[in-house]
Amino acid sequence: MYGWIWRHLPGNTWVKALLSLFLVLAAVYVLFQYVFPWAEPLLPFGDATVDEQ
Amino acid sequence: MATVEHDRSGEDTRPHRHNGGRVSRGPVATLVGLLGELLMTAGVVLGLFVVYSLWWTNLLADRAADRESDRIRDQWEQAVEGAGGPGSLDTKGGIGFLHVPTMDDDQILVKKGTDPKVLDDGAAGYYTDPVKATLPTSGKDGNFSLAAHRDGHGAKFHGIHKIREGDPIVFESKDKWYVYKVFEILPETSKYNVGVLKPVPEESGRKKAGKYITLTTCTPMYTSEHRYIVWGELVRVDPVDDRRTPPKEIKNS
Repeated sequence: MYGWIWRHLPGNTWVKALLSLFLVLAAVYVLFQYVFPWAEPLLPFGDATVDEQ
Repeated sequence: MATVEHDRSGEDTRPHRHNGGRVSRGPVATLVGLLGELLMTAGVVLGLFVVYSLWWTNLLADRAADRESDRIRDQWEQAVEGAGGPGSLDTKGGIGFLHVPTMDDDQILVKKGTDPKVLDDGAAGYYTDPVKATLPTSGKDGNFSLAAHRDGHGAKFHGIHKIREGDPIVFESKDKWYVYKVFEILPETSKYNVGVLKPVPEESGRKKAGKYITLTTCTPMYTSEHRYIVWGELVRVDPVDDRRTPPKEIKNS
């Protein structure tokens, strides 16, 4: 999977490395901004209240 | 990761290269390699989720809470100067601040409601459901019940286990300091135990109506398996002076 991505990135090794870094940062951004806030209420780690159900 | 090495002798198991350096592998090796990469990715994502939960959400929540606290204090000041102005009601449900010196020296913003969107902004919320909290500002007997996060999102009740019986809890409103004294702690109870929120809290040992405060958060740390409860009782109400001199129970704020 990652090998496939690496092979399909354009440019020489340095350009590929730079693009890879950018892809990693983009992935982290999407996780922190969208995926984790969505997943958090579904996981039983952060409830602080007592309630009836 | 690009090559797969087998240990069987006599066979040429080295990967064959063609198509400009691309390594061709058998379908099983490709599948196993893909599975490995997916598992590693899952590990990294879970690690990032921990970073998100315990660091990033604190950063966001503290920023949000600080901004709103500043706005409320500004409004209080303006109200004292007699210039309400437009937007003076825009406190987003923020009613004051909680000071628990044994837990943390920082003030904790108190807002209406215990929805995630309130608590996730680094505030303590007073219950509106399932048992409605009685606000100390109402002057009536009842229970001022509050919830806040133990971890992440500001983690305002993180240090709740440091509170001991006899410790002060001070609620600061626009013009009064409400000084409570802790009289009972329930270190672990069911998350469905709504009796702890009642006007005369169940299991607190008190039987008569009074002016109580209840702090609830999750326990043990980093999970929300159970709830941790701290009860206090109002001992004194001090007026706020011009310089907002805090009562002696609060050391430095």
